[in-house]
Amino acid sequence: MDHILTLLIFTPLLFGLVLLLLPVSLRNSFKYVALAATLVQVFLSGWLYFHFQTGASFSGINHAEQYQFAEKANWISLSLGSLGNMQIDYFVGVDGLSIGLLFMSSIVMAVAVLASWEIKTNLKGFFALFLLLDMAVIGVFCALDFFLFYIFYELMLLPLYFLIGMWGGVRREYAAIKFFLYTLFGSVFMLLVMIGLYFSVTDPTTGNHTFNIIHMMNPANYAQGSIFSAHQTLFGLPARSLAFVVLFIAFAIKVPVVPLHTWLPDAHVEAPTAVSIILAGVLLKVGGYGILRICFSIFPEVATAGAFWLGLLGVISILYGALNALAQTDLKRLIAYSSVSHMGFVLLGMASQTTEGISGAVMQMLSHGFLSAMLFFLVGVIYTRVHDRYIYNFRGLASLMPQFTVFVLIAFFASLGLPGFSAFMGEAFSLIGAFTSASVNGLLPSWMAICGSVGILLSAAYFLWTLQRMFFGETRLSGGETWRAALTDVNFREKSALIPLALMALVIGIFPSLVFSKINDSVLALVHLFR
Amino acid sequence: MNESPISITEQLNNILQSITYFVPETALAILFLLVIILGLALKKDAGRFCQLLTLFGLVFVFQRDVQQLYLVLSGPKFLFSNMLLLHHVSIVFKLIFEVLAFLIVVYIPLDQSLKSHKKGLSDLYAILIAVVFGLHLMAMSVNLLMIYLAVETVSIGSFLLVAYQTENRFAVESGLKYVLFGFAASAVMLYGMSLLYAATGQLDIFNGHFLDGLIRVHPVPVSLGIILVLAGIGFKLSFVPMHFWVPDVYEGAATPVVAFLSTLTKIAGFALLTNCLTPFVFFGKWTTFDFRLFFSVISIITLIAGNFAAIVQTNIKRMLAYSSIGHTGFGLMALVTFSQQGISALLFYLIVYAFANIGALMLCSFYAGKNSMLSVEDLRGRGKAHPFAGVCFVVLLISLIGLPVSAGFNGKVLVFSSVIDVYRQNHNVWLLALLITGAVTTVVSLFYYFKIPLNLFLKTSAQTETAIENPSATLLILIGLMSALVILLGIFPSLLANLLR
Repeated sequence: MDHILTLLIFTPLLFGLVLLLLPVSLRNSFKYVALAATLVQVFLSGWLYFHFQTGASFSGINHAEQYQFAEKANWISLSLGSLGNMQIDYFVGVDGLSIGLLFMSSIVMAVAVLASWEIKTNLKGFFALFLLLDMAVIGVFCALDFFLFYIFYELMLLPLYFLIGMWGGVRREYAAIKFFLYTLFGSVFMLLVMIGLYFSVTDPTTGNHTFNIIHMMNPANYAQGSIFSAHQTLFGLPARSLAFVVLFIAFAIKVPVVPLHTWLPDAHVEAPTAVSIILAGVLLKVGGYGILRICFSIFPEVATAGAFWLGLLGVISILYGALNALAQTDLKRLIAYSSVSHMGFVLLGMASQTTEGISGAVMQMLSHGFLSAMLFFLVGVIYTRVHDRYIYNFRGLASLMPQFTVFVLIAFFASLGLPGFSAFMGEAFSLIGAFTSASVNGLLPSWMAICGSVGILLSAAYFLWTLQRMFFGETRLSGGETWRAALTDVNFREKSALIPLALMALVIGIFPSLVFSKINDSVLALVHLFR
Repeated sequence: MNESPISITEQLNNILQSITYFVPETALAILFLLVIILGLALKKDAGRFCQLLTLFGLVFVFQRDVQQLYLVLSGPKFLFSNMLLLHHVSIVFKLIFEVLAFLIVVYIPLDQSLKSHKKGLSDLYAILIAVVFGLHLMAMSVNLLMIYLAVETVSIGSFLLVAYQTENRFAVESGLKYVLFGFAASAVMLYGMSLLYAATGQLDIFNGHFLDGLIRVHPVPVSLGIILVLAGIGFKLSFVPMHFWVPDVYEGAATPVVAFLSTLTKIAGFALLTNCLTPFVFFGKWTTFDFRLFFSVISIITLIAGNFAAIVQTNIKRMLAYSSIGHTGFGLMALVTFSQQGISALLFYLIVYAFANIGALMLCSFYAGKNSMLSVEDLRGRGKAHPFAGVCFVVLLISLIGLPVSAGFNGKVLVFSSVIDVYRQNHNVWLLALLITGAVTTVVSLFYYFKIPLNLFLKTSAQTETAIENPSATLLILIGLMSALVILLGIFPSLLANLLR
């Protein structure tokens, strides 16, 4: 099992190549190939999760030797004449920040394949792009070389563009290019910062410049007077702060943080169900993960100095997302805005820079991964049956689709933070972090935590109100009898996608230590960086 | 000036010695004559045989170029009384010319509109060889007169290439525009050279007296002279404001010819520029004219103008024309580093750009058939009829935008790296401005390049999908090879980059 991470990353690519070679006459087997790929991944990442060791000597973060399942190989070696070598490594490994996200992503990907049964056209293209996206996502969570990270990060864009643009809804072209332009705008500037960091940091053993993220975390590796060493300026601004802001914007677009969120509702509404699940379940986490792994770990002192503003953005996202969700009449748009609100807790928890807050943020990312996947899947169930998501067109679905309603109840109550479900743990710990921050490190004022709690209240409001509008009362459908006939209850395939998600949310909610024990050492090491 | 008279024997000796370093060019000249004779001798199938002969000839010249690499191991060589300078970089440029010319010669008969040309194609190959000869001179010349001659050789050949299809009204119009612009540009350049000559009495820019003379003269006439010369070179590079001919000519000329102009002549322009700037950069006392500032500003304007103008284009060749202006801006960004690393990055960027651009233009030929005015709208829903070509198009466009995993991305990274590296040494704020412009225009380029995949795959055509009549398999194979190459160099850039040092 020396190359298990490589295997995990490139399994989808392998299956994707097999899929491309299959003749079109085997059209109906394509989805099973994709499902097989994701199940292999679930198995591999599950194995990783349970063999992931804990303890202070396995905390990772800024200690390369503490990363587990790490692999390092020379990849690109460019001679630059007098400047030595440009050395780029294939360097992957996991620590507490990434292990949970890997496992969660694998499960969500498998669910997304189950959701793509609804796709009927151009199946080969769809699943090939899907598997390419899968590879890129897993690669991002594993990469420890900034160049490699960036490659995987950018590689996610292209398949998503086509997945939204070719299989999406009416305004898919607009949504696809908006998403692409937004994200690329963030990442081209990230490229510049990445190269700047490369020229600032030297590998202590070889003396060459390096893209190694872990070396970038150690202030001793910065050459005197280099672009991003301490006290340098760019345009009269402190260079390190500028770099932090640029990187933060790139990731904040992904999270998405208000006011950089406007691509998200469009992308979600137009995307097919499977892509919505991946977008909400996995891709938003890439943003959160990037903030922790890159922004916070490389520029901890800037993160501390700007903690108030980060927290403020988190609070604004929580409230603005929730208020917007209240006003939506399209069920999918409502859930998209609820994602904005829930990801706000992640940012608030991170900004507190306390152990509780960051643990809560990681927990919230995992929890939201499962729950948003479930929510979008549930929307997809209605949409594939009647091709409508307008909330007021449905009433009294509970008597028509009782099992479906049970899943909706679980998903809604779990999402609004009912104790016993994962979201409660995530939100509670994020808020505890924000509360204690005032006394521990004085970064966030306690009114932020209070405003965050209001966000939970608001999420209860929009979820319960939606429940009341759509599911309770006498059955009345705008589509009449045809709809009544079409709205059959969930079938075996849908249940087999929903049950694991519900179970994960419940298990993590009841036994949060299953997660906390794995991430705790890394979170402690990360918090240690801020001091 | 105290020039010692050179005896005739010395001159003859110099020429005889130089000829041994002039083998590839001599070979090209002979090849040119052979192709003309063959074209005249054979009536039937002349195009076919001339093409084969040209291809063999180019392979031979390529092999001679490789041998030259060993000749300059001991250092650069001046040829023909300091008319030409043979050094490592110029040989690398020549190798690039041969490879790209080879590709284009293979490509020429695959273009439907050129293939159906009633004059036949044998003359086209002959002209092309003559232009490649001119490009070789451009890459080596270090004497003002020689520069002028080289540029003119290329220009006159290019005029003929552009106007080759005389029955096409657009081609004639674009040919005439090109000729008028070209002659104006060379006249301007010649005037600039005369100013420089008047100031120094020297034509040899590597001669110490040339620069010494220039710094002793008032900066205004010297700067004027330099700007005029650069304007002439800029015509070949098509940087703003010397770009006005580009969209019209690219739209009107045959697609393979566009592929030639947008890659080979552009690259030769960069080769010439690196040669001309070298003495100024290494001359410590030079303060008369700030080349870095000049090219930074030109590069920023070119990046912005080229990329933003491309947004509003609907004709694909016009769009690629404006985008190629944008790429010139990016190349200039690498040039203003004036560093060894910058030149390597420039070479890598240009080669990769050339592959992707030739590939994209081949796809234009593929989709256009006999219709020379291909607009983005014409591509509606055609990705499904020819998925392989469509996917290749996406790959090549990704490389042109500079997204991973493609060679274009690595080119961008190398250029950005070289600029940042120079920035950290001198903290020149123009370099930062260049970086930011480069990043922003990358996003802009995504917007217009992705109109093509948008139409190919996302939109569906109103009328029934028309498959292309007898699509050329050779063309598709070539396109596939280009795409594969672009991805391969995207994953393993060292394969190419380590050759270019």
